[in-house]
Formats: sequence, structure tokens, C-alpha cells
Amino acid sequence: MSIVTSCKLNASSLIINNQLIHTISGDTIDWKRELYNFYSKDYPKFHKMDPLAKMAFLGILGIEKTTDLSVYDDNEVSMIFANKTSSYKSDSNHFENYTKKNLISPSDFVYTLPNILTGELAIYLKWYGENCFYILEKFDLDFYIEQIEIAFSKGKKACLCGWVESSDKSEDLIIFIIENQNNKINKEEIYSYFK
Amino acid sequence: MSELKETLKAQIIEQLNLENLTVADIKDDQPLFGDELGLDSIDALEFIVLLEQNYGLKISNPSEGKDIFHSVNTLAAFIEKNKN
Repeated sequence: MSIVTSCKLNASSLIINNQLIHTISGDTIDWKRELYNFYSKDYPKFHKMDPLAKMAFLGILGIEKTTDLSVYDDNEVSMIFANKTSSYKSDSNHFENYTKKNLISPSDFVYTLPNILTGELAIYLKWYGENCFYILEKFDLDFYIEQIEIAFSKGKKACLCGWVESSDKSEDLIIFIIENQNNKINKEEIYSYFK
Repeated sequence: MSELKETLKAQIIEQLNLENLTVADIKDDQPLFGDELGLDSIDALEFIVLLEQNYGLKISNPSEGKDIFHSVNTLAAFIEKNKN
């Protein structure tokens, strides 16, 4: 299996390797805070992150439930992330605070780029290799496969791929680790995994 | 002065989203930057905003920031010295 681990999460559930691990009660104001508490993790920086970075971080904690990510050297993994609405939610929040409330917040401003989340993961995982964030119309496995093939052709040992969306309509994350097996990708296996 | 320090601690927690801390967790002479509180360069900018929005104070010389933001004690002393 070239996909080592996957994690899906949203406001109602945490799913790891296609198995329901936790149902979110919704008792807290923010479901992401509830999930953070579920992991019993002490990482104060979490509280400063914007919704996109929080979800990506929670996804990594899900991956770590079953996979030891320390086996990868920092330059052996490519991070390939994407979503549809970029950092629009954080952009809007910053714009509203700045223009209507005259509130200036450097920490709000710093999250007005979606790829900040890959930086947050890089800091947490101590992976300082290649990472990228794309804006796509929808979750597109073929796009990821294309990017993974490029990364593997450059000798990367694995790719950490993610789709992370935070809009007023929904918040969803899909994140998975796929390992390089002789530069070959079994597309059918990937398609069936995400059916 | 002690009232100012307690107020400052509450403002720091709110402005910097230090949800894991309470006012009692921050000591007056504790270094604000370093390993203990985990503050970073963005937080330093938040301090500048905090001083300006809550106390109307601007830091004219950025190189002074390191000393001013060293601890709650130094922050309070700066405010006391420069308030109208």
C-alpha cells in the first residue's frame, strides 16, 4: 500500500484510515478546539492559528496516531496542499477588523495567505523541504497524482498531501501520506482508497 | 503598579491568544520571550499594537523593544514612565 495513512476531519467526525475514531459532540464553541482537547496535545501555538492551519495541524495529529513521522528526514517529504477558497475567511476577518473596528492584528494579518499552514506544519514536524499550496476548483486526485509523480521523480521519499477548506459553508480536511515505491504510483489503489 | 501589571497580563493573554495561560501563570519578572511562554516575532508586533491601542504609547526606537518587552515588570515600568 503506497498510502501509509490518511485522516479526514470536519465539524462532525475524525476519521483515520477510513475508520471513525471520534464523533465531535459540538459542545464547545469551536469543534476544532474540542478535537484539540481530544488529542490531549500541549502545543500553545495552536490557539494562535487561523482555521486552515488549525485543521491541518489537527490532521497531522490524526496521522501521528498511527504513523511515526519522525522516520522521514526533513528534506525527504514534499508537502502538497490545496483548497478552493484560499485564505478568504482569514482575509475577510482581517479586513473587517482593520476597516470597521480599527483593530490591527499582526497575527491576523500573517494568516492572510493559505500557505502559512504548510509553514506551521514544517515548524511542528521540522520538515524544511519542499512545500506548496494550490488553489483548485475542487479536490482533484489526478492533480495530486501529477504533483506526487513530480516529487517522486525528484527523489522524494514521501508526500504529505492535503485538501483543507474553511468557508462559511463548511470546514473539511483530507490529509494523507503517500510513500515512494520505486517511483511508481498505483493510481487505481489511490482512486479506490478515496471512493 | 501591581494593578497595572495584572491588567497587562490579562491584556497579553487576550491579545496574544494565550488560551492555555491564566494571569496567575505569568510572573512579573518572567522573560516573555524564550522557551517558557513560546512567544515569537509576531507576538512582538502584537505588543507594539497593545501598547498603542491600550495606552497610546509608541515605541520610537525599535531597538528599545527587546528591553521594554522583556517582562511584565519592564512593560509596566515603560508605561508608568511614559503615560501622560
